[in-house]
Amino acid sequence: MTSLTATLAAAVERRRAVRSGVGATRPGLAWAVPATLFFTLFAIVPLVLVAVLSFTGWNGIGSPQWTGLANWTALWHDPVMLKSLWLSALLTTLGVVVQTPISILLGVWAAGHQRNRAVLLAIYFVPLLLSATAVSVLWRALLDPNFGIPSEAGWLFGDGNLLGTQSGSIGVLAFVGAWQWTPLHTLIYQGGARAVPQVLYQAAAIDGAGTVRQFFHITLPQLRNTIITSMVLMVVGGLTTFDTVLILTQGGPGTDTTISAYYMYQQGFLSFDFGGASAIALVLVVIATLVSLVMVRLTGYDKMNSTAEGL
Amino acid sequence: MRSSASVSRSRTSRNRVVRNRVVVSTLACALVAGVTAGCGSSGGSSASSSGTIHILVYGDTGNTVEKQIVDTFNKTSKVKAVLDTIPGANYQQKLQTIINTPQAPDVFFNWGGGSIAPFVKAGLLMPLDSFIAADPQLKSDFLPSVFNTAVIDGKAYGVPMRGTQPVLLFDNKKVLADAGITPPATWDQLIADVQTLKAKGKTPIALGGGDQWPTLMWFEYLYDRVAGPGLFAKALGGDPSAWASADSQKALGMLKQLVDAGAFGSNFDSVKFTDGGSPALLAKGKAAFELMGSWEYATEKAANPDFTKNELGYSNFPTVSGGTGDPNDVVGNTNNFYSVLKNTKHPDAVAQFLKLMYSDEFVKAQLGIGNLPTTTNTQQFLSTSTDPAYDTFQYNLVKQAPSFQLSWDQAYPPAATTAMHQAVQQFMDGKMDAAAFIKAMQGLPTS
Amino acid sequence: MRHRPNYLAGFGSLIWLFLVGLPLYVMLTATLRTQSDYSTSGPLSFPTHLTLQNYLDDFSNGFGRDFLNTIVVTLSVVAIVLLVVPPLAYAIVRSRHRTMSTVFRIFLLGLAIPAQAVIVPMFYVISKAGLYDNLLGIILPTAAFCLPICTLILTGAMRDITPDLYEAMAVDGASPARVFRQLVVPLSKGGLSTIVVFAALQAWNGFLFPLVLTQSDSTRVITLGLFNFQTEHGVDVPALLSAVLLSMLPILVVYLFARRALVRGLMGVGGK
Repeated sequence: MTSLTATLAAAVERRRAVRSGVGATRPGLAWAVPATLFFTLFAIVPLVLVAVLSFTGWNGIGSPQWTGLANWTALWHDPVMLKSLWLSALLTTLGVVVQTPISILLGVWAAGHQRNRAVLLAIYFVPLLLSATAVSVLWRALLDPNFGIPSEAGWLFGDGNLLGTQSGSIGVLAFVGAWQWTPLHTLIYQGGARAVPQVLYQAAAIDGAGTVRQFFHITLPQLRNTIITSMVLMVVGGLTTFDTVLILTQGGPGTDTTISAYYMYQQGFLSFDFGGASAIALVLVVIATLVSLVMVRLTGYDKMNSTAEGL
Repeated sequence: MRSSASVSRSRTSRNRVVRNRVVVSTLACALVAGVTAGCGSSGGSSASSSGTIHILVYGDTGNTVEKQIVDTFNKTSKVKAVLDTIPGANYQQKLQTIINTPQAPDVFFNWGGGSIAPFVKAGLLMPLDSFIAADPQLKSDFLPSVFNTAVIDGKAYGVPMRGTQPVLLFDNKKVLADAGITPPATWDQLIADVQTLKAKGKTPIALGGGDQWPTLMWFEYLYDRVAGPGLFAKALGGDPSAWASADSQKALGMLKQLVDAGAFGSNFDSVKFTDGGSPALLAKGKAAFELMGSWEYATEKAANPDFTKNELGYSNFPTVSGGTGDPNDVVGNTNNFYSVLKNTKHPDAVAQFLKLMYSDEFVKAQLGIGNLPTTTNTQQFLSTSTDPAYDTFQYNLVKQAPSFQLSWDQAYPPAATTAMHQAVQQFMDGKMDAAAFIKAMQGLPTS
Repeated sequence: MRHRPNYLAGFGSLIWLFLVGLPLYVMLTATLRTQSDYSTSGPLSFPTHLTLQNYLDDFSNGFGRDFLNTIVVTLSVVAIVLLVVPPLAYAIVRSRHRTMSTVFRIFLLGLAIPAQAVIVPMFYVISKAGLYDNLLGIILPTAAFCLPICTLILTGAMRDITPDLYEAMAVDGASPARVFRQLVVPLSKGGLSTIVVFAALQAWNGFLFPLVLTQSDSTRVITLGLFNFQTEHGVDVPALLSAVLLSMLPILVVYLFARRALVRGLMGVGGK
């Protein structure tokens, strides 16, 4: 008891010493300047410009002309904008719903140490080595109705009109997204599953709990934080999907897969309405910021002082 | 813009040679670029650099001729021409983004019509009247219907280059023979052929609906056959009521009839021309017809040389009974043009450069790579082309056409393209009815 | 691990193996056959006679230069990130300046801002700066958009350094620079390797910035090369797929030789 008090006292004493020497040992603001300056120049300034441009008309040729709220009123009445937001939400949700169960299952399974798993995992990992561009180009060729896989599997694909219908093309986008990203999430869950203390399983086994019960009563609850992290990544990925849509569907058929990010690109760089595109971009930024805020709250990333520092 | 982008795609195989040359210089450039801000782009023309003019063209296999012409020009000129290219698919969008920046070229490739109208409106282009006054051949040596595509508000803004690209109805002769039919002369015959071919288990008409612009070609021809070029001209002129006219309704009804008859099969929106899907359907005998620009020939030749030689047929679009349009009218890409930036530092050199566009060397070189120039001296060299019969057919078609309608997506300003393509696609796949289509077309910006 | 085999997951993993394996099989075989063989015999059949012509075609098409450009971009982005992020993260973790928390929040808010959202003004800024169609014009914004997540990852790693160690150095009277050099950097190696992997992947796979900010062949990066190839030569599926395959080779090499680091890096991206 006395020794504990003595230790505590010594610790307090040491902290005082440190606190008095703060000026010398703690980095000043200057350390943050390069990164902040850089980030301001190439991310914050353009962000402010987006806001400004959204009140102008600009076709890229002349200079931006002040048009007040014109872009915003147009956007408010634009059915495609609303549809694009809905589509973005749908695709993001689909991504989470499809990928989460698969990658949890695969990740937990992969957490085992058997040799054959290592070989299989090496194959699973391959899609991660491809860029979204490469993945989209690959699937565009594979899904060609006349010369791709659908032409040889008519029982599954019918006439192969995958990209000619809304459900088909949304399905393709969700599938290709899952194909590309499930390996990453599998990896994340594999890491998470390995971190689950073995004692819990041993205890459960003594209680006579089967594999399924162990999964639902130990593995899943223990993976809670991993699930949040993985979902956060999926949401961000879903909101920023662009390459896949540009290459696989170009937002089509019609506007049936025109998600917000693609709609912005289309208005700006295909229809040369940079003012209108900026308005869409600002909507995207607001949504992204809200998502960020929720994420940060959810994960506790924003805590300035970690428990380890404890000062 | 997309429809002309396809031009490049068609001549894929020869493209590779061109790029090779750049590699070495680029290697060095790329290495340096990591450390310094130097190594500007090949597209970056600093207008101040003394004694050069930058020629910006659509990057594809046709560049071999442009390169040759630039070399010819540089042999005699003190001011040197530099050829810059932008890969085809991105050409129009990149052009629009750089045209008012220091990276802007002196002379650039375009399609006339709506593709340059916004630049004219912004006062960026130089009217070529003074050039023509000094050298009347810059105008008189070209077919008038072609030359006029780049005339805006009574002033010429472009000199034709490369070739004309009318849209033709291509067919697979063997499939037609097996079905016991010939290329349709009338619309009714086409509908009948569709039934015959369907009974044979063929897709009657290949359509790269995924690209959208091939679908648009059907609208362009039908509207012209039914109503003549006036309807579209009126609409483009800013009178949206044209789209709601009885003729417009009639054309849409006929198109609907064709789609409903199963002429294009059911999965056309998943098929593309640009990735070779629809040309392959035609060549492999899975489809009988394809309506496509004249570049179809080069596309098929690159991918299926035997088929092109023996079984590829072509004809003009069928006539429509009761239609007011002239059956000799054609639609397509009238031609490509060179236009000149107003603030070029070397207008005299540019004028000299443009003169090469009607030279014998130019015409022969273009014919050699499968392009069909529209100069008055083209005819005398037709026999030297790779396929004289095909080129003669096209040349006469264009020469005799009372009207050569520029593709709608190039006649309208670029801002209208996306919405137009979407409307066309949605009408074709049944998601839009005639009323909705008319409304969509009426909503397009015309200037 | 588990004492009883997990049949459900095992079965699921087999299905997944099929879903991943089949496209890879098609891609691999397609690259070894001629275009006409591919379109006549279909993607699933085995090629009758093998050819490497597709790969040769890709290289004569400028893929070598695209590689080089991408490597330049990737290395530069990684260099920038390594230069500015560690000091920032150090400052965030250790500085007690009030402004620091604001700075951190700004970076955190940047987390989910999609690059697409600023592409219009980015184009404006880059062309005003004379960096249009210049690799630097891709490098700078790409690096900037890596900063939020890299900062997040690295602050996470640096927070795990126990205060005792800082205190020990403080007692020695070490300057912040020395603490950074001798303590912070060596102890956050895991985090550093994670941000290297992350930044490298971002740069390697970047598409939108190159698409909008470059135009000529000489500044073309791999992703854009693939995109152009698809729109110009989509006809030639075997050559296209060989290009796809080639585009992942460098990462494959890294994967083979540094699998553990790469995997740990990727896990780190998720797990912090």
